[in-house]
Order: sequence, then structure tokens, then C-alpha cells
Amino acid sequence: MKKKEDEFELLNNLPEEARDPEISKDDFKLVTKDTTIHEQKFQTKPTTFFKDCLRRFRKNKSSVVAAVILGLLLLLSIVIPAVSPYDVSAGAANTGFEYLEPKLFNAGTGFWDGTRKYKDYSVDISANPTAKTDEEKQKDWWPNETFVRSAISKKEFSDEKYTDYVSDFGKGGFLRHSILKSIKEEAEYAELRTQEITDVLDLSKETVLITAFDTYDFDKIEKLPDEKLQKFDSDYELAKVGLDLVAIDMDGDDEVKTYYPIIEPKVVHNIGSAVSSMSEETVNVGDALSESGETRTKFERYYFAVTIKNERDEQNKSSLIHSWTFDVVGNDALKAKLCDYVSGDKVNDGASFTDATASGRETLYLDQAKTALNYGYLVSSNAARQLFMSKGYFVSFVYDTYEAKLGTKWKERISVSDLDQWSTAKVTDKNPWGVKLMEYNISTKKNSSGKYVLDTNAFYCHILDERCPLAQELRPEDIYVDPYGISKSNPLGYEVDGYITMYKYYGYEEMPKFLLGTDKNGKDMLKYVFDGLRWSLLLGIISSAICFIFGLIWGAICGYFGGNVDLIMERFTDILSGIPWIVVMTLVVIHLGSTFFSFALALCLTGWIGTAATTRTQFYRFRGREYVLASRTLGASDARLIAKHILPNAMGTIITSAVLMIPGVIFSEATISYLGLGFRNLNSLGIILSNNQPELKQYPYLLIFPAVIIALLMISFNLFGNGLRDAVNPSLKGEDE
Amino acid sequence: MLKYSIKRIILAFVTTFIILTLTFFLIKSLGPAKIASSKPAEIYSFYETQVEYGYVVKFETMHPELGDFLAKYEPPGTSKAIYYYERPIVDQYFEWLGNIVTKFDWGRSTHIEPEASAIRIIAERLPVSLKINIISVVISVPLGIGLGILAGLKKNTWVDHTISTSVMVFISIPSFVIIIFLLWGLAYNGNLPTKWPTADKSTGVKALGYIIPVLSLSFGSICGYTRFVRAELCEVMSSEYLLLARTKGLTKRQAIMRHALRNAFVPILPSILAEFIGVFSGSMILEKIYNINGIGDLYITSLSAGNAADRDLNVLMVDMAIFTIVGLLAGVILDLSYGFIDPRIRMGEKNS
Repeated sequence: MKKKEDEFELLNNLPEEARDPEISKDDFKLVTKDTTIHEQKFQTKPTTFFKDCLRRFRKNKSSVVAAVILGLLLLLSIVIPAVSPYDVSAGAANTGFEYLEPKLFNAGTGFWDGTRKYKDYSVDISANPTAKTDEEKQKDWWPNETFVRSAISKKEFSDEKYTDYVSDFGKGGFLRHSILKSIKEEAEYAELRTQEITDVLDLSKETVLITAFDTYDFDKIEKLPDEKLQKFDSDYELAKVGLDLVAIDMDGDDEVKTYYPIIEPKVVHNIGSAVSSMSEETVNVGDALSESGETRTKFERYYFAVTIKNERDEQNKSSLIHSWTFDVVGNDALKAKLCDYVSGDKVNDGASFTDATASGRETLYLDQAKTALNYGYLVSSNAARQLFMSKGYFVSFVYDTYEAKLGTKWKERISVSDLDQWSTAKVTDKNPWGVKLMEYNISTKKNSSGKYVLDTNAFYCHILDERCPLAQELRPEDIYVDPYGISKSNPLGYEVDGYITMYKYYGYEEMPKFLLGTDKNGKDMLKYVFDGLRWSLLLGIISSAICFIFGLIWGAICGYFGGNVDLIMERFTDILSGIPWIVVMTLVVIHLGSTFFSFALALCLTGWIGTAATTRTQFYRFRGREYVLASRTLGASDARLIAKHILPNAMGTIITSAVLMIPGVIFSEATISYLGLGFRNLNSLGIILSNNQPELKQYPYLLIFPAVIIALLMISFNLFGNGLRDAVNPSLKGEDE
Repeated sequence: MLKYSIKRIILAFVTTFIILTLTFFLIKSLGPAKIASSKPAEIYSFYETQVEYGYVVKFETMHPELGDFLAKYEPPGTSKAIYYYERPIVDQYFEWLGNIVTKFDWGRSTHIEPEASAIRIIAERLPVSLKINIISVVISVPLGIGLGILAGLKKNTWVDHTISTSVMVFISIPSFVIIIFLLWGLAYNGNLPTKWPTADKSTGVKALGYIIPVLSLSFGSICGYTRFVRAELCEVMSSEYLLLARTKGLTKRQAIMRHALRNAFVPILPSILAEFIGVFSGSMILEKIYNINGIGDLYITSLSAGNAADRDLNVLMVDMAIFTIVGLLAGVILDLSYGFIDPRIRMGEKNS
């Protein structure tokens, strides 16, 4: 610009005659007399359309960054699933690795170190009624300090409000119960809370309740016929109690008040599963169940579950099932014991209501009530109960999830087959476990009841190698002989108790580190997310490619020929585009199943319309141009005109619209996964997000990372697409921004 | 104009008809509705209703040529059994069409509320979705337009850059990701309810319950409007007539108010009208995540998460019909309102 002005200046400063010179014919000379000018080579470097685009694209910094991010994500989605050894396939269940927090640094650094913070975790102080000293009491409910990585702060709480709020592990307090004649619908159940309070039981006087329930006549307990039992999980069975009223002498003045049994559908609950539902990883709260461990196989346990729902429930702060548990040995001896059996998953309440183990109890309760009604077993009315004014402790601490899950811990009943596997006797040279299992003999002696007796004195287990999962040498006193199992034909009928280092037990040489933690099935989130990303991208690219090809052909025909052909084809796309994509996808997926193919098909069914419309517009734009006309006059065929003259001009815009389709496809797939129609045996970002949705409250890391990845992917794709559009078609620059 | 409008509306009707017919056949080809119960009495009453509705035919003898029978019922006390067969789908279709046209009866629910009219179930669920959607539209339209105008007028300043960048980011983030972050930040680490408050909650809690759904629906909408308004305004601002308006002595304010905004709003107003039609369809993911009993959630429930045995196809059909009709209606409104808003646009005139 400046240069030009200078030239003008120069021109103005010229003398008069120089400004208007007389020009004769001789002043002109042909530059090249012999050669024609077109034979000369370009002085500048020739550029192609592609190079020109690349040059323009490179100027757009944000698009370049987006492209780099996209490339990186693509690379990671190929490399990580190929390199990482963990199993993340759709059906994978890696026992022992569940819910490990993200870990990069060593535990104790406070950030990204595999620890979980528990805040105001309520602990049960009434869990072990037999404990005499405070220390003894503490032992059962205090968090296992081996795994705690911070100071444990403790504060007592006492909820004095007369509300539904109940501490999970409160002591004492009152049970308020109100009566509703029957449960017919869930709606009525919701109304329970508004019922009038009829009676108040003082829970601190535990004996009162025990006497009260002694009046049950357990001889009248009947089980449901077997065909009905099959309707329930093996853990749950229905039984019928032939009583409907309970008489309780509350204050010893012989005035018996009538109470309704806590709940009528009698659930026979398998003890084993009740215990196992308290996972080791949560703080070990003592429960009265373990007391009866010795003869547990003979027990049948009757749960009378009362769900105490409360206002805070809606905010998922607390929820609790207090159950009264009756141990019935055989069918004659009655041992009624009050046990505030509380689900061990305190921190698992709330958000994970849909999680069957954590808090399916509420639904279970309702289902039972409904089922009981269906079968006519509702023998009494129902009572809604609320506990209040109970006391307990809130503790806050930081818990090392890796040590708790995979560290050294006490394991009851290490199976002999495991021991044998580790023993030198059965290990190949290649991979010696390094454990020496000493000779053991089964004595030929039988005991008084005719069982064989194991000579436990000969049993020793030494650790020879670091890789051995045993953390301590085993001695004869650790041996546990199964009173039923051992025989000459079954010499393995004994087990051993001891300390085991869990990660070695699972076959790792050192403590594994999960950068992004693991989910409820123990899947490594890092690999899971990138594996999902890979499938999402693949689906996006494949369906975009198909849509691109089909849309291009359709749009080209529409746009090039116009007229009636265009009119008819346009009406067709009008109708097709009138169907909401969600309807198309739902119909295709329920017809063809949730496979990769059916998803791609469903996405392509309506996906091509966009490309077709773009192509059509572009063809309309270019088909009337002079150069096309010129070509036509020279006799070019339709195919040649389309392929050689119109398409190259329209290509940039069409390709851009195809690229911008990929994020749309990924979004659609994720949405369908949320509707429960996602891939059955493949991973995808949508599947990961919808599977982990219920865990947002307790394990936010399971959602935050995939959410960030999908957001990053979408932003990058859009930025990249916009940059691409500007690069291939500079005239559109700035549109849609 | 009138001719075009009528043509457009008729076309929309025809399209709706074709789409619903297609949907009907596709859904019916999944197989007849089945009842979950195994009690003879319930099966009897269920299939009798199906017969009444014309989905099923009953015979007193076996008719193997009609395929496998659906159910067999033996009335107590008699030896005669009743065999239920699925009616040919084409017959069912005309029956269904007749019921809709004459009685506006879209069939009965089979699982969600057995025996209840599907249209009644929809009517029960619709108000919640409507409330949330209307509130979010009412909030997002002015906010989006305001931000768009701000960005458009302050083009290429830091205000514009901030708005445009955040619009670019938020428009790319899928709605479910926004819901996840809102839930995490405001509900689990804040004081908002983590799910839609039930009917027995206090008014305060109920009011708080609106925040997350409305926010999550508004984000995308606000961003969309901001981008749209900004683009339109930028185009108008650089037009020659605005330059003329300024040169003939209008202040900047006058020029913007009288000329720029009015012209910029020509394409924007129709889309706002279309958006108001859109309030009739619920947001599925939001309603599922936030436990809202709206029609989006109904769609998922009637699909039963892919579990074939529990599908409520009649309700699903009505729900699909609503989504289809709402979409098409919005399109018609969008197209027609152009003509009413901008006299320069002559609808249906032959393109020269």
C-alpha cells in the first residue's frame, strides 16, 4: 500500500512534459519475439488447492490446536487399549479391583494418590453390644487405621429433631411408628411419613423389644411353596408368619399395648450374603451377625426390614434400613436378638439407589410388600417407623483405597488349592512362587464322630520368594479344619487363615497403579475410556463416510438435474427428515439389536440428508456458471461435468460438512446409550457415562474424566471443522461464529 | 401466501401421516403386546381388551394358519378353550387409524399403567416437561438474544471474544455432560436437590428442584441464540443501508434500534416461535438422570431400556408421534412465520 502511494508521489513530482509523454510506436517492443509467452515457466512455485487450504488452515491457530488435540486423542485411543494389560471388555469383572481411586503419586501426598476422603462418616457405637470396654467397642466400628492416611477426627452427634432423619449408626433414640392398614401402592408408601404417630418405643431399652418379640410363635412359620420361591433370588425367600399382632408390655405395668409386627412379608435372608454385602473396603463396622459365625450354616435368619425414609433422603444424605434379626436354630430354639443391622454401605447410599447391592433394599421392601399382596400373604398391616434422637459419631479421615483393597490383609480361609499352586511342589521352574509347603499327613485316625483327623502339627508354610502372596509364614495354629469336609478322598478339606498381600494374590509383582482409578467392575478407567473413545470414533467415521458417499450421490443428482427429478427426491428427503432421529434410532436398534452394524445403519438412515442438502446447494450454485456452460458446449458429458468441473469446486464445503457430522454421530450414540439401548458387547463413551451415572455422588472421578474427554472431543471437532471450512472456502469465513 | 400456507400445512399433515404409518408398521412388526402377569383372569381381561381394540382375534378352535397363538384361556366350568391370535397388521392399522380419527383413542398401555389409555398417561406426564421447558425457554431466549446483541455490537472487542469463545465451548459440550457437572457441583457439593422433588416436598425444595433442569436445558439454547443473533447482527451492521442511515444523520442508537435490530430479527423470530412449539417434547436424558416423570422419561420407560418383554408399545407409539408432530409443526411455523414477519419474503413464489 505504502509503496503505491510512493509511486503516486513520484508521479506527481515529475515535470509536466514527463507526465504526459508523447508515445510513438517505436517505443513499444515485443518482449519475446521468438517464443510464445505461455511456454515460459512460472517464476513462483505452483500451488495446489490442497496446499493452499493447508496454508490458510495453518493461520487459524485455534483450529490447529484442535487438530493436534484430535490427533492426540486418536493416537491415544489406538495406543492405550493396545498397550494396557487390563481387561475392560463389556462383561469384564475384575474382582478385587473395584473402586480404586485415581493414583499417580504415592499415597499420602494428598493429591492424585489413590486415597478417598470420608467426611462425617457415621459409625455405629451400638454395633457390638457385648463389648465391655470402650476400646473393645471402638475396635469394631473404628476405621481400620492401617489404611487411614490422615488424622481421624471424631465428633459426636445427637439428632434431637423429631424428624425422619436417622443416623446410620446411631445408638439409642426412639422408634416412632405409625400404622397404615396396608400397602397397596408406592404412593401410599410415600404417605406413610405423614401418618399420625401412634406409639413411641424407647430403643435404649433393648430388652423391652426383645421380650416383645419373644411372643412370636415361630413354630407357625411356614415357607411358601417352592414354585413361588423360584420367583425370588436365591438369597431371598418369602415365608409366612402366622401372627399378625405383637403384644408388648412397654413399661412393666402389665398394660399390654398391641403392636403390629414390623413388616409382614417375611424375608428369609441368607446370612452369608448379608455379611458379604459389607465390603471390606468400607469401614469395618461391627455387626452382630458375625457372633454366630460358628454355626452359621445351620441358621436361618428372619429379617423384618423396616425402611426409614426421611426428608434428607431426597438429597441422598442418608438412608437406612433397620432390621430386627432373629436367629432361629433349627426350627425350635428361639433366639431373638435385636440387631440394628445396617447396610455397611453408608457412603454408598443416595446416588447409587439404583445399585442393587447398595440400596436395593428399599425397592426390595416395596416389592415384597407388593408380592405379598399379590399372593395374599399380607397377614397384618404395616407400620412405618422412624428413629430419632439417636446418638453416634461422625468421623472424617482419608482412606488409602489401594492398601485397603490390594494391600496386605487378613484373609480367612485361604484355600489349599491356592497354597498348592504357590508351593514349589507344583510350580514350574519358569515361574516359581517360592513357597515351601511342608509335608502334611492325614492321620488314619478317626475321631469320635467318625471323621478323619488332620495332623496339623506337620503343617508349616515358608516364604521363599518375594512374589509369594503370603505375608507371613503359616503355622499349625493357622489351620482351619472344615468339620464336614475332610476325608481321605477329600484331603483338601481344610483351609488356612493368614495374612495375604492381595496384589500378589492377583498375580501382580508390584502394587498396580490406575491413573484414573477403576470402576465398579474393577475396569481400569484409562483403558476403558480410550477403548470407548476408539469405538465411538470408529462409529463416527464409518457412518460419516457412508453418509458422505450416499449424500454426495443423492445431492449431486438432485442439484445437477433439477426440475422434476429434484422435486420428487426433495419430497422424499422432506419426509425422511421429518422423522426425529431418536425415533429412527430406537426403531432400528430394537429391530436389529444393539450391535455396531445396526448403530451405523440407524445413523446412516437419516444422516445423509444433511450432506445431500449441502451437495445440492453447491451443485445449484456451480451448475449455471459460465465455465460449466463452456464445457457443455464443447460436448462434455454429464458425468464429466459433474466429476471434473462442479465437484472439485463443491468438494471443500461438502467434506467439511462430513467432518462436522462425526461429533453429531458420537453425540447420538451417547444419547442412545443413555436410553438403555447402547452397545451390548462393545464399549463407547456413551456406555461408560450412562453406566457410571449412578456413581456420580460417591465416585465422581468415574464420570468427570469421560465427560471431559467427550467435551474435549466435541469442542476440538467443532473448532477443527470450522477451521477446515474457512480453509477450503474462504468466502464463508466468519459465518456461524 | 394463503395458498402457500395451505399447501405447506397439507404437506405437513401428509408427512405426519406417512411417518406415523411407517412407525406403526415398524412397531407392530416387533410382535403383539404381551402382558406380564401369568394369572388366567388377568390374561383373559387383557386379551379381551386387545380383542376389543382390534389387535387380537379370538377363536374357539386352533387356527394354525395364523401362526402361533398368543394365549389360551379356559373359562372355569366349561371345557371350551379360547385361543387368541394376533390380527393381521394391516387390519390392525385400519382399526387403529379409525380409533384415532373417530375417538382420538391411541390404544391402551400394557405395562406402565395396564389398561389405562395411552393418551391419558401422556397427558399426566406432559405438564412437568412443559413447565421445565417453558421456564428454560423464557430464560434462555432473552438471555441469548441479549448476549448475542452485546457480542454483535462490540464486535472484535474483548467482550465479543469472551462471549464467542464461551459460546463455542458450551455449544460443543453435550447436554448430558453439562448435567453431570451441574449435578456434581451444585447438588452433591451444594445444596440443590439431587433429583426431582416428589409431590410431598415443600415449595422451597420444589423451587430449588427447577434450577438444575432449567440450567441444563438453557445452556445450549442460550449459546445457540447468542451465536445466531451475533451472526445476523454482524451481517446487518456491515450492510449498506445501515451506513446510509448513519450518513443521513441517525445516531448510532437510532440506527441500531430502528434498522439493524429489526432486520436482524427477521430470521430470529421464527426460530423463537419454533422453539416454543418445541416445549412439548421432553428432554430424555435430563428427565432420566434427574428422575423427572415427564414424557422424555416416559419414552425410556416405555422402551424399558431395551428389555423386550416390558415394552409398552402403544405408549411408545404415542410418544414417538408427539416428537414427530412437534418437530414437523415447528418446521411449518418456522417457514410460515418468515412470510408474516418479513413482507419482503413472498412465500411460494416461483424462484426466477
